[in-house]
Amino acid sequence: MVTALELAESVLKRLEGRFDDVAVLVRQRDCVMVKLWNTEPSVTQSWIDAKVSVLVSRNGRVFSTELSVGDPDAVDNALRNVGEILTKLEPSEIYAPLPEPAEFKPLEGLVDQNVLKAMEEPGKYVEEMIDAALKEGAERVAGTLVFGRMAKALATNKGFRGMEEGTEVEAYLRAFKGEFSGHWAHGSRVLDVNALREVGRRAGMYATITNSKADFTPGKYDVILSPLVVGNLIDTIGWMASAMAVMMGFSMFMKVKPGDKVGSEAVTIIDAPRDTELAESTAFDDEGVPTKDKPIIKNGVLVNILHNTGTAKKMGTESTGNAGWLFPTPWNLHVAPGNVKSEEELISELRNGVIITNNWYTRLQNYVEGIFSTVSRDAALLVKNGEIVGHLGRIRIADRFANLLSNWELATKETHKIRWWEVETPTKAPYALIRQVNLTKPPI
Amino acid sequence: MTSLDEGLLQWAVDKALEVGASYAEARYQRDVTSGVILRNARTVGVGSEVREGIGVRVIVNGSLGFAATNTLTREGVERAVMAAITRARATASLRKTPIEFSDERVGRASYEVAVKRSLGDLTAETLTELGKRLTETINSSVKEVKVPAVMFQAGTRLQEKLVINSDGAVIRSVVPRVTAFINFVLAHPQKGTLQRTVEKEASGGAELIDSWRLEDVVSEEVSNLEKVFLKGVEPPKEPIDVVVGSEVVGLLVHESAGHPMEADRILGREAAQAGESFVKPDMIGKYRIGTKYATVIEDPTIPGSNGYYLFDDEGVPARPRYLYKEGIIYEPLHNRHTAKLMGTSSNAAARAMDYASEPIIRMSNTYLKPGDMSFEELIEDIKLGVFIKSYMEWNIDDMRWNQRYVGLEAYMIRDGELAEPIRNPVLEITTKGFYSNIVGVDKHLRFYPGTCGKGEPPQGVPVWFGGPDVRLAKIRLGVIA
Repeated sequence: MVTALELAESVLKRLEGRFDDVAVLVRQRDCVMVKLWNTEPSVTQSWIDAKVSVLVSRNGRVFSTELSVGDPDAVDNALRNVGEILTKLEPSEIYAPLPEPAEFKPLEGLVDQNVLKAMEEPGKYVEEMIDAALKEGAERVAGTLVFGRMAKALATNKGFRGMEEGTEVEAYLRAFKGEFSGHWAHGSRVLDVNALREVGRRAGMYATITNSKADFTPGKYDVILSPLVVGNLIDTIGWMASAMAVMMGFSMFMKVKPGDKVGSEAVTIIDAPRDTELAESTAFDDEGVPTKDKPIIKNGVLVNILHNTGTAKKMGTESTGNAGWLFPTPWNLHVAPGNVKSEEELISELRNGVIITNNWYTRLQNYVEGIFSTVSRDAALLVKNGEIVGHLGRIRIADRFANLLSNWELATKETHKIRWWEVETPTKAPYALIRQVNLTKPPI
Repeated sequence: MTSLDEGLLQWAVDKALEVGASYAEARYQRDVTSGVILRNARTVGVGSEVREGIGVRVIVNGSLGFAATNTLTREGVERAVMAAITRARATASLRKTPIEFSDERVGRASYEVAVKRSLGDLTAETLTELGKRLTETINSSVKEVKVPAVMFQAGTRLQEKLVINSDGAVIRSVVPRVTAFINFVLAHPQKGTLQRTVEKEASGGAELIDSWRLEDVVSEEVSNLEKVFLKGVEPPKEPIDVVVGSEVVGLLVHESAGHPMEADRILGREAAQAGESFVKPDMIGKYRIGTKYATVIEDPTIPGSNGYYLFDDEGVPARPRYLYKEGIIYEPLHNRHTAKLMGTSSNAAARAMDYASEPIIRMSNTYLKPGDMSFEELIEDIKLGVFIKSYMEWNIDDMRWNQRYVGLEAYMIRDGELAEPIRNPVLEITTKGFYSNIVGVDKHLRFYPGTCGKGEPPQGVPVWFGGPDVRLAKIRLGVIA
């Protein structure tokens, strides 16, 4: 089987000389995913495939294509008319020549041999997760466990060559007891059986944390958000930090600039491509620019918008190593921890308010204003005098991101590695306490 | 017709049966998309994507396995077959009951959406020109506000499928689609910003672009929204009659009738992802969710629709389904697995996004049944009310009960007529709250496109949702804080 880099070079060889810029990005994967339903597997899915992405340009006119093929001839065929297409295009507003290759420092430890072994016997790890949830008193569980091996290679006509291989583990479980449920998630490059058990334990713990229900009146509440909720909301903020989101009118950062205050001093959000514990860690971006960890927001101040070379040129700055040929994106996200020693201590600090342990369906009325809402799922708990008194059912955060960032007050010392359906970017996040968050529920 | 002959797929099915599968299915799928992206009338990106491969699904030892490959050789496909078999077998011991499919009369058929003009007519050049004209239309339609950002995206999608399974199904299909997406931001120094997205998508050929009259549509939208932006007032705080426009109704029935009536959700298969459903099996055919106007239909066979198909990916012939019928929860969407579990027949809802996705229960085209009134008749006796014509923000909980739609273009209704504009009215309501408060529907059935997300890994499939304008009695609206 050809390696990802051999395939990239083979495609590049056929194209270079015909264009000013050529970049070939190959991604190969071999993954297995077990999906659980009512405490048993619903389906075991596998993917063994390759994707070849090609970017070509001539006189500032740019064309990119993505092909799910593993054969250089097929790529050649798909691109045979591109030269003619390019002559009819206008130059791209965000064209910049591909960068000259820079030295990049490879990341170590991206492959865990235990993950490769686990791919052929995922059942026993699924059982570990299930058992941990049932031990907490859950009646049934649903969820997903993924083990995978990925390879990424980039070859450009400027001479860049790079290849990385890495493994991935993604696990999440939803545990049910009666009408109540709890959820937890974990994402990493390495197999850590204790972390898988912890997914089951925390899901089970939230499903069984109380049998009581509490009444809810819409209004402003002090709120603790779990790392899952923080991860979901920061995912949206990270996406909006892309220069292309800013240029297109899909960003709350359209009205501010680096150096402006956008949150409280407690808020620091970092794009962390060099964190090898998280699954999108990478040493080079899709243009061959070396990656670096850097803050998006530091102590409440917007520091970096995320760029590729094209958006950087347009905005008069340097690439941040976040290409995406068209749309720069964060790789992994860190939300900086706080000083609170434990979740219990954070609840004491909250005193009276609401804990939201999971959410989904975050949607915006207006990206520029950051007006959004999101719905809780699983345990949303009322806290009175520092004690959890009952489930509130499904409630909604309906507010502005600017308010959330400004009213962000405290966070736990410990962060959790989160990745699941609603947190697409691998994230390390703490529990956070945010004051005066607008919560709603339908009147009828 | 499709780019692959049956031989390799039939070989994959035979191979899977030979090594122990009790059911096997092989699906070749090729999705080709191309398009342009403009920002403020300037090209940002031009590109294409080809997803082509084979997805193999098997039942072995009562366990369901799926594997996908894009190595379209006998060796590549054999590797996928063996991965599906061995990895499913490896988790079979965790199953308490074997997975089985309902018996169905599967089809041997071939169909193709006929186009008046080839998708190839929508070249990057043509679409770029259209994007420039639309941006110019938007810029020239405003009077007082600025337009800091216009995004235009348009393109074509061609989907070819060939499905073969061990029950004898052989289904070939070719469905072309055209898509357009426009997002604009209006800005005012004192009022802030307002944002709107307009989307069009349908099955058919290049002729669709002209039929959408996009310049007229955006011109009217921008002109109306500028008034809402500059002059919009808060909605009344007391309960009033609310007329929900067809755009909102369409999304609302998709979210609160379509999703909760997916049998896999009802049975818990999506519990950890898209969630479950307030609908329980014993409610089907009995539970009253709304008034006599609450009839929601799901129909993949509507010609020209975005969710069009005639056979599903398990080879079962498609037909219209009544999800809610005159206020009663009526017929869930089934595939062959949920049909077996619930003792009924599949109604052909199994669909896969691409070759690398397992077929799961999906909506196609979902709509609320229209009536025979005009819009004027629908509102003529409303003394004080609100008409919500369009929306931006929405969401719904994972049981499909508690939902929220934030209006964008909206107006007061005074003495039976539309009056001053309203800004950001919030309809936050339960599913029963909506359907049991419908007191009238007009005759104007309109459809809107969407990409419905579900599954793990997430699969986005093209759908339409629609309905008439709907009148609700005595609703308390909120407003953005």
